[in-house]
Amino acid sequence: MTMFLIKKSDVGKIAEELARDHQVYGPMIEKGSGQTFFDRADDVSEISLSAPIPSNPPKSVVFPQMERVLAYEYDRPKNSVKIEPDYKVEPKALVGLRPCDLAGMLCLDRFFMGQEFVDEVYLAHRKKMFIVTNTCVAPFKQCFCVCTDSGPAASEGYDLNLTDLGDEFLVETGSEKGAVFAAGLGLAAADDSHLARKKKIVDKSISLFEDIAVDSKAWISRVMNRVTTGFVKEEVWEYIGDQCFECGACSFVCPSCSCFNIADVTNPECEGCADRLRSWDSCSYEGYSRMAGGHNPRKPVEDRRNKRFFCKLSYSQMKKYLRPGCVGCGRCAWVCPGDIGLPNVVTYVRREITR
Amino acid sequence: MNQKPGVCTFCGTGCGHFIGVENNRIARVYPSQNHPVSKGRLCVRGWNIHELLDTPDRIKKPLIRSDGPFVEASCDEAVGRLIDSLKKYPPESIGFLASPRSSNEEQYLLMKLARSVFGTNNICLDSESGHRASLNVLHAGTGMAGMLGSIEEICGAEFILVAGIDITRQNPIIGSEIHMAARAGAMVVTMDSRRTQIARLSKKFLQVRPGANKLAVLALAKTIYEENLHDPSFLEAHTEGFEGFRRAFGKLSENELYEKTGLKADEIKTVARHLARAKSAMVFFSSGISGLDEDTIGYIYNLFLLAGKIGKEGCGVNPIAGLNNLQGGYDMGLAPDLLTGFQPLADAATAKKFEKEWGTALPSSPGKPIYRSLADQASELKALVVVDHDEGIVRYADAIKKLDFVAYIGAFKNPFAEYAHVVLPIATYVQEDATFTNAERRIQLSTKKIEPEDGLLPGWKLYSMIAAKAGRAWKYAKVSEVMDEIARLTPAYAGVTHAKLAGGFGLQWPVDDKNPGGTRRFDLAKAGRKLAFYGVSDVFEAPSADDRFPFLLMVGKAQHFWHQNNLMKKTHIPMREYNATLMDYPEGYVEICPQSAKEIGVRDRWPVRVVSPHGEMRVSARVSDDVSPNTAYAPYFVQEMISRFLLGHTEVLRQGEDATIPVRIEKV
Ligand code: SF4
Ligand code: SF4
Ligand code: SF4
Repeated sequence: MTMFLIKKSDVGKIAEELARDHQVYGPMIEKGSGQTFFDRADDVSEISLSAPIPSNPPKSVVFPQMERVLAYEYDRPKNSVKIEPDYKVEPKALVGLRPCDLAGMLCLDRFFMGQEFVDEVYLAHRKKMFIVTNTCVAPFKQCFCVCTDSGPAASEGYDLNLTDLGDEFLVETGSEKGAVFAAGLGLAAADDSHLARKKKIVDKSISLFEDIAVDSKAWISRVMNRVTTGFVKEEVWEYIGDQCFECGACSFVCPSCSCFNIADVTNPECEGCADRLRSWDSCSYEGYSRMAGGHNPRKPVEDRRNKRFFCKLSYSQMKKYLRPGCVGCGRCAWVCPGDIGLPNVVTYVRREITR
Repeated sequence: MNQKPGVCTFCGTGCGHFIGVENNRIARVYPSQNHPVSKGRLCVRGWNIHELLDTPDRIKKPLIRSDGPFVEASCDEAVGRLIDSLKKYPPESIGFLASPRSSNEEQYLLMKLARSVFGTNNICLDSESGHRASLNVLHAGTGMAGMLGSIEEICGAEFILVAGIDITRQNPIIGSEIHMAARAGAMVVTMDSRRTQIARLSKKFLQVRPGANKLAVLALAKTIYEENLHDPSFLEAHTEGFEGFRRAFGKLSENELYEKTGLKADEIKTVARHLARAKSAMVFFSSGISGLDEDTIGYIYNLFLLAGKIGKEGCGVNPIAGLNNLQGGYDMGLAPDLLTGFQPLADAATAKKFEKEWGTALPSSPGKPIYRSLADQASELKALVVVDHDEGIVRYADAIKKLDFVAYIGAFKNPFAEYAHVVLPIATYVQEDATFTNAERRIQLSTKKIEPEDGLLPGWKLYSMIAAKAGRAWKYAKVSEVMDEIARLTPAYAGVTHAKLAGGFGLQWPVDDKNPGGTRRFDLAKAGRKLAFYGVSDVFEAPSADDRFPFLLMVGKAQHFWHQNNLMKKTHIPMREYNATLMDYPEGYVEICPQSAKEIGVRDRWPVRVVSPHGEMRVSARVSDDVSPNTAYAPYFVQEMISRFLLGHTEVLRQGEDATIPVRIEKV
């Protein structure tokens, strides 16, 4: 694939150019609170490539928290239904996606599009998408992508990948679409020396991870082994389950969590009319795993909790995603009222191994 | 970017969030990372608030009815009808039931409407007396009618007592702070009759017999005093009235205390020593429907005063408001005997200040709490205005049906409206700027996110319109001017303006010249007075079980079942969680331990009859280790329990959770 260089002062042009025929999304800092959001840019100059990892997972672009997927109208006397699918087909561009979040989206791709049935709603969001990733030249406090093989630089799935070389950005192309687009920007070509500079920067970035993250690198695979083979003791799951507040946050913020709920909301002002909503759901909720008839295979909260960690840390999931279900973004640790984000869970299982 | 900052309006924690808007509809919610209270967390309710805010289940048109069904009316017509109907009666016969969910501005204007336009002091909050009991104690003791500590300081407390509150369910994010403090090394002790989640997360769990909280607190205080763990020079220099409290210590022998509380000597002694020796200590208890009674709250406050844990960093006696603006409701004077900021109506100088600002005389006849009137067969109450109501309806349906006139004002559809003659819609809280005051006195501004639907007025405009039509023109050009007026009349809010709150995370009152940035906690050094021990009784009537009624039944909250769930039912996910339990226990449940279940001869989900001296109900048994033998627990959402069973138990309704009911449980 081809490589180019773009001046720091010009890097905004990528988003500007994409905005011609895409809805552009990217990381932006909310002024009042200083919080980073990955959101639709009304004005592409709002996008900040140096902003910290977004607080919300960019999956919300392809899999929104709550989305109207269709509307229907049932005419009882005529026994007929009018169905209007509501697929958001506008082309979208994601500019400044972090490598972990891209890895998360690739998991979602495999879940929504890589199995027997393709999810049309997801496909519509994803179809004409242009992805520009941004190498993390330094990790943020909660990051551990080095342990989950998803950063600090993206290796696949992007159209363009940017790396901050100091005074300029290295632009790597990752797809045909990306190559054509980059060629159209009239940029100077980059060579292997720039690639070598990138490698140095990535190595430096890796060295800057918190000890615990680097330390965990080997541990994650050992913990995965334990989780998969069922060697984690009941008491450990119980200890973890006792701390779960059943808020659902860990699933909501996770870039690779795909569970959703479907609700038909009737319109009180129009007989027979309803909107079908799809929204984020979570395995931590009791009603989520309850089956019709009252049987609940995962009634105690610790069973629901370990389900999540099976999903993130077992080989069976690796078969589905071709990688661990956790991409090391650290968001679940941020938002968990019970303080049982994934890194802590790894620590608890690990503590058991060393005992 | 499409992220608008705001405040979760479910419970009194006041977590910060961002709301996303699409096509003038609420599309999503996300936690606010830098918010000092919630620090990036939300609970199951908060994470799904967008589902409520997007519900089509709203009241959108004014409705009136004479004898038959409702007919749509213009706002003018409905307001006219409301005024005519109220003006028919003398002020003693009309009442206002305000909502602990409304914003400060709306609450204040409803209070002003009741007093200055309709001339009545019959106004109170639609919530039980629990929070008022806490405020009475704290105000009498320290002069501050609100939480003495601060949520932000939980992480700095060395000792934390959680007394009779299922806090990880009721106010989960406060529960989370306590859990984090425990993980960081704080000595967290839970005192409860039921093994709640926070009990499991605590370092010590004092499983007291139902109804014996006060005795357990007394036992702690007695230990501190008798082991000389308190600081006499602190008592001497900073407190008064200790003698009265001390008298209670001699009332019961140690053995009686252990027997009645079900606790062991070494449990009590260890906890008392930890409390006394900690550098800082906090206590949390519930205010509201399942809150403790005033006397027990008095004991808790006195215990912490004796231990010298008031007015210093990391300390606090902290009543927890279950509803988002319960604290604000009392701040706004929604009580028959109060004006704003806990200023007594009876105080001549205060009354004069209000009369001057409002340009009218205040009603002189004392008001009565609405619930007391509804419970009183001989009450003069004839006409009632109810705002955004969740609770009392199921209990007082018969009394409400008998009233001549009922008006309902609210944003969401509500079963209460069925009892009304006039229904007036208002905009939701995301459709106007509004302030709310959380459990730790933090006044937060939530800015307007979407436009109200055609013709819908925000509460402050509707109340202004009612006042104008009734002959008193209020001159507010914008809602921030309502806050300016509140600030002029309320010392604790003196420095508050919308402009000052904008873009920040709120300010904790008092906000005044001396504390322009607000006041994190009650400060002994600035108190300028002695702290008074609260005058408590030394009568201990712990309910006891006997052969006929061998179980002690407790009543409480559960996470998704909350204040009759009128709002929860308008969401999808919290509602599903609610239904999951309802499907398992369609008639509601009473929780008993495996041993009791065996004795009665029932299993999980089998129907049982719960019989008390005053009534009975049929529910399912839920078998769980969380209760001890011969105690039982029923969550408050059990409809039959509230509408029928509890009616005979007026004491329970008044006293809240501490008033447990001896019952018999039978297999059916
Ligand atoms: S499990 Fe946690 S750390 Fe891993 S990808 Fe999901 S949110 Fe990020
Ligand atoms: S974020 Fe934490 S408390 Fe919430 S559901 Fe997930 S594990 Fe449980
Ligand atoms: S704790 Fe209360 S304020 Fe916070 S998110 Fe939950 S319901 Fe909302």
